[in-house]
Amino acid sequence: MIRTIEVLLVIIIIAGAFIGTSYLSVLPAPRQVSPINLNRLSLTTLQMLDSDYDLSRAAFETDNSTVLGQLQVALSASLPPNVIYNLTVYDVNDKEGQLYTLYTPVANISNAESIGTTSDVSMYTVASSNVTFNVTPEKIGEKSNGGTLYILNCSDANGWWITGYTAQSLAQDLYNLLSPYFINTIMVQNTTQLRELIDNHTISSSPTEKVQNAVVINTFGECVPMPQEYYQGQSRASQGYDSNAPSGYGYVKYCYTLGNCVFMYNWTWASIVGYPFYYVSNTGVFSNDQNGWGIYGMKMTATGGSRAFLEGLNNQAYVYNSAQITDSANRVVTFTQAAIDSCNYYGIYPSIYQTSTRALSNSTMSSYNLRVGFNVFNPSGDYLAGAVYNHFAIGSTNITGSLLALGLTRTPDVRVTALSLLSYYQPRLYPSEYTAQGTSRLVVLQLGLAGGS
Amino acid sequence: MNATIDHMVSLIVFIGAILLFIGLFSQTIQTAVVYESHKALSTKTSDLLDTILLNPGIPGDWGKTDVRPAGLGLQDPEFTQYQMSSFSLMRLDSSTGNLVEYDKTGSYYSNLSLGFGASLLMPKAQELNYSTALSLLGINNTYGFQLTLTPDITVSITETNPGSPLGLSVSASGTGSPFSGATINYCLIQVTLPQNESEYPSYTIQSGSNTTDQQGIANLTFPSVTDANQTYAFIAYAHLDGVVGVGYHTRVSATDQCVVPIVQSMGSQEVALAHNYDLNNSGPEGSSLKYNATFVISTEDYTLSELSLGNSSSQGVVGTVTSGVGNPSPTIPLPECTTGILIVTYQESSTQGGVVLMPWGVSSLAFPVTFGGNPVGQVWVATDIRQVTIGGIAYQAKLALWSTSGYQVNG
Repeated sequence: MIRTIEVLLVIIIIAGAFIGTSYLSVLPAPRQVSPINLNRLSLTTLQMLDSDYDLSRAAFETDNSTVLGQLQVALSASLPPNVIYNLTVYDVNDKEGQLYTLYTPVANISNAESIGTTSDVSMYTVASSNVTFNVTPEKIGEKSNGGTLYILNCSDANGWWITGYTAQSLAQDLYNLLSPYFINTIMVQNTTQLRELIDNHTISSSPTEKVQNAVVINTFGECVPMPQEYYQGQSRASQGYDSNAPSGYGYVKYCYTLGNCVFMYNWTWASIVGYPFYYVSNTGVFSNDQNGWGIYGMKMTATGGSRAFLEGLNNQAYVYNSAQITDSANRVVTFTQAAIDSCNYYGIYPSIYQTSTRALSNSTMSSYNLRVGFNVFNPSGDYLAGAVYNHFAIGSTNITGSLLALGLTRTPDVRVTALSLLSYYQPRLYPSEYTAQGTSRLVVLQLGLAGGS
Repeated sequence: MNATIDHMVSLIVFIGAILLFIGLFSQTIQTAVVYESHKALSTKTSDLLDTILLNPGIPGDWGKTDVRPAGLGLQDPEFTQYQMSSFSLMRLDSSTGNLVEYDKTGSYYSNLSLGFGASLLMPKAQELNYSTALSLLGINNTYGFQLTLTPDITVSITETNPGSPLGLSVSASGTGSPFSGATINYCLIQVTLPQNESEYPSYTIQSGSNTTDQQGIANLTFPSVTDANQTYAFIAYAHLDGVVGVGYHTRVSATDQCVVPIVQSMGSQEVALAHNYDLNNSGPEGSSLKYNATFVISTEDYTLSELSLGNSSSQGVVGTVTSGVGNPSPTIPLPECTTGILIVTYQESSTQGGVVLMPWGVSSLAFPVTFGGNPVGQVWVATDIRQVTIGGIAYQAKLALWSTSGYQVNG
């Protein structure tokens, strides 16, 4: 008998456990088993209402009952009939003393007294159409004792492979594109000022101008301006003219001098198109010389110009060398992913497809102790259509001069130059005014399902 | 002996009780497992819907080509968020409508047409079918789905007076309520049937706007239309606060003959103009219709603007379409990059003619899209919805998902 009683006790215990379990493990309501994702529905509804910025306009006209009425009609018409909503517009405060009321409700529309037991919300920030948002860029070089951008705008020189433009118009475009990113942006107005730079002298009254660590953009294409002092027979002819070079190509020595300046002052020299340093130009001293295509005021240095520049940049002894550093193959090249990312970040959108006919040989460049600092275009074998090369002296980890060489075909798109420099230096952008009072409002749409609990 | 009986009784009672409680507990556990399965299905539905709507597919422009995509996505590659490609949706093999055979090519076409006056026939062979979509989404043999895209705003047009003047009532309603206070921008396309045999039918467009009342209705009159047999097409856009809908209505004076545009290729943007007698072998050979085909796009202010159709000297393409396999089938090239409406006016006799509209991109005339399997009869179907925009028209995208491998499918 005692066994039966024991079993009955066990049954009572198990029954108690079952009742307890059944009581505690409450299954959810049927609508919770397979719910509609109200959060996403809410967000997509807000996005659709703002597709023509109507929601943004309505959020800033909350005292206009007609506008709010229209918003309610649109909201009711677009949501399924079993969905109830509660839309609230909040003003965003950021004044001192209002820290504890960051969001102030300014309007509310709803189609039900209660939102129900199952609901979800999405938030959407809208901006006033009256506000222009500012973006403050970080200044290149502000942490590295540099920050000056020199744009060659010499009135006494002519350019080549910039057909359809003038160097001056390109300089102005580059100024507009890049000046916000530099502490100082200075137009080098003539070759006299360029000579001052070569001599490590500043050319403006700005106390923040620094020749060291500057960026120099040559807007003259395959041609480079040359101060008249470097002309044959002038005071600096020994630094500008090589009498032993093949006839007609003597001014390669000037390119060597420039390369050495890049090395000494740690410049970043930008060549915007074509074969770098293929000509030198000064409309005064070369007034009777032309490039073979009818452009007077310049003298060809041909392939020796680039070699001399690289020798100067590598701080090695000058030797005339006319071996090519590029080939002339026609290549359609594309931006690297990093360059594409920069397009989006800086809002500069040249075509990601470009045609290159003067891509530089990477192995040749490395023989001058140049390493790629940034690839603008995806490499094509050994050839790079656009890259920033950094010079490292043997055994050194410090950069001593850089060259941005864009071996694209004419005519140049200076946006590629701007994008290349920005991609290389990567100045940050600081957006502002996004939280300024009265410029932003927060729209919260809460959705629930009608009927039942 | 008593002890033995005691043991036997207690053992039987104990075993019976254990079996009973195992059954009771297993019911509770099974209910919980089923709940979890349904919950997982619901989560999968939401994820899958976003997967389809938030990527353009591979390649991104597959909707404008004839290639089979390597990845399924419906997002417009030129936009972000929930903006769908009107062309990609055209390439989905609709699960509604009957197949149509075009006698001249022997090919079959999916019929996405919305009643009389507007048709969209897509080549079946170039459509993305349901089984391929399941494979591309990686859910073949595990889930079935049906994707429907329905316009948020239904714009229906009825004739209140056939002529002197023509009266039309435009009714706009949302999924939840009337579209009251909405602006109605409309275009009345009046067809002119020339009496000269050498001329082709043409049309003029009359635009205007009005506002819907509390019931979402706007009544319009057109004093310029006095003939109760006047052939016309009417297109109305209803819009309010970013929510846009479109509707249409046509009236023809022809008998049972009409021109039917058939999309031949999305890649080459070719549309053939067929005689309706050549569809499903439904009429005799030798019946001819003169036609004039033009392409219009909707501008930002909801007026229609004509685009040239390959011929720089004239915007329309004219000709004659004759039924019968031996007679040539005219084809028209449409623009590659823009959505719009192909308007084909046709003439049977000096007094009989008509007009047919074909949307180039489903959103141009707010065609709904239904793609996938049939959820009817499935054990458990989870649904989720999103608001999307297709070519500026507000749609609701709904995905119904069910498991094809039993209850305990976990996402």
